[in-house]
Amino acid sequence: MFKKLVLVTIIFASSLMAAAEVNIYSHRHYDTDKKLFKMFEEKTGIKVNVVKAKASALIKRMTSEGKNSPADVLITVDAGRLFQAKQKDLLQAVDSEYLTKNIPAIYRDKDKKWFALTKRSRVAVIRKDSTKENELSTYEDLANPKFKGQIVVRGSNNIYNQSLLAAMIEHHDEEYALKWAKGVVANMARTPKGNDRAQVKAVANGIGEIAIANTYYIGKMVHNKDASQRKAVSKMKIFFPKFENGGTHINVSGAGVAAYAPNKVNAIKFIEFLASPEAQKLFAEGNYEYPVLAGVKSSDLVASWGTFEEDNISINSLGENNAKAVKIFDKAGWK
Amino acid sequence: MKYFNKLTISSVILTLLISIPALLILVNLFTPTTENWEHLKDTVLSEYIFNSLFIMVGVALMTSIIGFSTAYITTMYSFTFSKFYHYALILPFAIPTYIVSYVYAGMFDITGSVTMFILELLGKENVTEVYFMDIMSIEGAIIVMSLVLYPYVYLISKTYLIAESSSIIEASKTMGFSSWQIFTKVIIPISRPAIVAGTILAVMEAVADYGVVDYYGVPTFVTGIFKTWYGMGSVEDASKLASMLMMFIFILIFLEKFQRRNKRYRSSGKDFAPISKIVLKGKSNIFASIFCFLPVFFGFILPFTQMSYWFLLSYKDVIDEDFLRILMQTLSLGIAGSIIITLLAFVFVYNVRIHANKISDYLTQITKLGYSIPGAVVAVGVLNFFSIIDGYFDILLSGSVVAILFAYCVRFLAISINNYESGFSKIPQTYDDACKTMNISQSHKLRKVIFPLIKNAAFASFIIVFIEIIKELPLTMILRPFNFDTLAVYSHELVGQAQVYESSVPAMFIVLLGIISVLVLARKMIKD
Repeated sequence: MFKKLVLVTIIFASSLMAAAEVNIYSHRHYDTDKKLFKMFEEKTGIKVNVVKAKASALIKRMTSEGKNSPADVLITVDAGRLFQAKQKDLLQAVDSEYLTKNIPAIYRDKDKKWFALTKRSRVAVIRKDSTKENELSTYEDLANPKFKGQIVVRGSNNIYNQSLLAAMIEHHDEEYALKWAKGVVANMARTPKGNDRAQVKAVANGIGEIAIANTYYIGKMVHNKDASQRKAVSKMKIFFPKFENGGTHINVSGAGVAAYAPNKVNAIKFIEFLASPEAQKLFAEGNYEYPVLAGVKSSDLVASWGTFEEDNISINSLGENNAKAVKIFDKAGWK
Repeated sequence: MKYFNKLTISSVILTLLISIPALLILVNLFTPTTENWEHLKDTVLSEYIFNSLFIMVGVALMTSIIGFSTAYITTMYSFTFSKFYHYALILPFAIPTYIVSYVYAGMFDITGSVTMFILELLGKENVTEVYFMDIMSIEGAIIVMSLVLYPYVYLISKTYLIAESSSIIEASKTMGFSSWQIFTKVIIPISRPAIVAGTILAVMEAVADYGVVDYYGVPTFVTGIFKTWYGMGSVEDASKLASMLMMFIFILIFLEKFQRRNKRYRSSGKDFAPISKIVLKGKSNIFASIFCFLPVFFGFILPFTQMSYWFLLSYKDVIDEDFLRILMQTLSLGIAGSIIITLLAFVFVYNVRIHANKISDYLTQITKLGYSIPGAVVAVGVLNFFSIIDGYFDILLSGSVVAILFAYCVRFLAISINNYESGFSKIPQTYDDACKTMNISQSHKLRKVIFPLIKNAAFASFIIVFIEIIKELPLTMILRPFNFDTLAVYSHELVGQAQVYESSVPAMFIVLLGIISVLVLARKMIKD
């Protein structure tokens, strides 16, 4: 009896210890996430430990740490890195009824190795007084010479551009994508520099006509201490381009459970929490992202930009085509 | 004799240890070329090389000219505010390069606050209507980097000039040389080791930079490394690019060494009489004062003012309990790191000194390599290294403070060594010989002769490494343990969230810590 008691105590204690923490490697670095982690801690009593760095660096770290890696969850800000991590066998399949049921199939890995948590779309941003809206239609059309000297976009080092081109490859082929990239380069108002916000500011101030940017940056500009950002964005409006045979380009921020996760149960709980309605609401309200959970509303500001048809290609293809996209950018002379 | 051996052996072991991460990257030089590599060669490589070289030459020219001329003027002359400039000229060093680049873009790019103000004055609506040099360009990147990196040259030259006996100048004067002749024919040649040591540090830092060139849209070798790593998902090809960069820097260091070999200017050290400063009057007084004001203004006052404004608007929202934790973590990391590095560097340099053979010298040069590679690539080398150790001993050192401190050694030893080297080169060889003839023991010599003469260099090294560590970003970010942040990392995260104003708060603390350190250093230099 005594032995049994000790055994039960040990098992109970060890399960308690196992319940104690979850280790996160995250590329996301938003205040919203801090709040979410705190919410999770309060709700479950599981302590959240975080290392934040670029996803590629975190993937390298997980590879080096191998079986000893303390990481339980990898969070990235794009599908490409999740795909890379999966390719390198750094993620494990997760059987979660909740996640499978609630996250649309297109936004999770078919092998259950990663799940998208939020969506971002890459759009055209134009001045409110601009008439470009009537000319704009598809992403393909951005390479049309009629937009010569009008396009402002950041460098090809940037993952969001790489994903956009990866989608272009998926919709057409590499040859077409190269032709398209060359066309866009020929239409640029200036050599690519700065981040998405800098592009919006440039167009607001008369450099070029069409800025390419991610939607949530616009939200961040609207609610900003920096008056110049607020002023710039107040002059602008959003246009949602589409692919000829698809919808508006979507990238995701998502998470997967690490292959050697020491706290697997907590890891799954954590991801399920991030996909819960309350967490999704915070993503939407606090960071102006599109929630991945059906039924959770976008923030009022985001909703005011209007609705759009989401692209239909597989999110995994963004990862598969990423390296090709980088090379095509180089060939096209997209700095 | 036994002492020599111990010192040499420990420096060999240390070199091996410190250089393993760099060597793990360097071996990629010999891996077969891949498809990715062929692609780079066919498309963008030549542009990367050209831009990186352009930046190197530009930064070398600007930093050596600004750094040395101001060091010379403030050492030799007394003029309006010269005491103030003595301190102030080091200040730009306290601001991290990437922060200055953001601030400068915010002021001078096409939508910058200053640009808009000027447009308003001119009554123009659109920046395209006027001639405009965009700061976000390769030239802009060179200017911004030089403005914050010239203090390397200034500091090392200044320490050198102050200690350099005034007798040389006096002698030149009696020979009827004019001030200009003394400057070009005497001062520059004897100061060459100091100028070069400082310039090499500035150039190495500039060439390893990612933050500025990425934001300003300048494709360089380093942006190529990251494109290959992040974009093509190939750490191996990225390491191959990094290995080439390292090789290049290595050759540069050796060329410099080789060239210097035939021109050794070493002080006879007969007297350490302080330089009697010439008091400037009239036009030359005004000129000297303005000349020193410009780098201080553009390198410090301007960005600092902008930051202060942002700071005042947002500090209430940023400083909380968590912020204090970050501050403490930054401080402890900085202090621990700079103590370790300053001690290690001494072992290397002292070994070269008393054991003047080529091997010790080469060993020391190898350990400097880490400074020329971008922090993130050093992190890759360190991860590779620790994955071997972790696997062998079945522990997990990667992701611990040990890994970070080790990585700092790999990256920042060069700074400390360069500081010591120019410090040691001022101690005449005759001192060592005298000790030998007098049969003074090594440890006694170390304590009574060498240490008092080198303690300034050691102190300078401590301060400079401390500032470097608290400014450091990529290494810390990649290797840090769970729930560990530094001010630099926090500032970077806020910028990433478009919270530029808020990001100035942690940045301001970095700058303030830097200023305090710099002032302590400058005071010490004046006192001695």
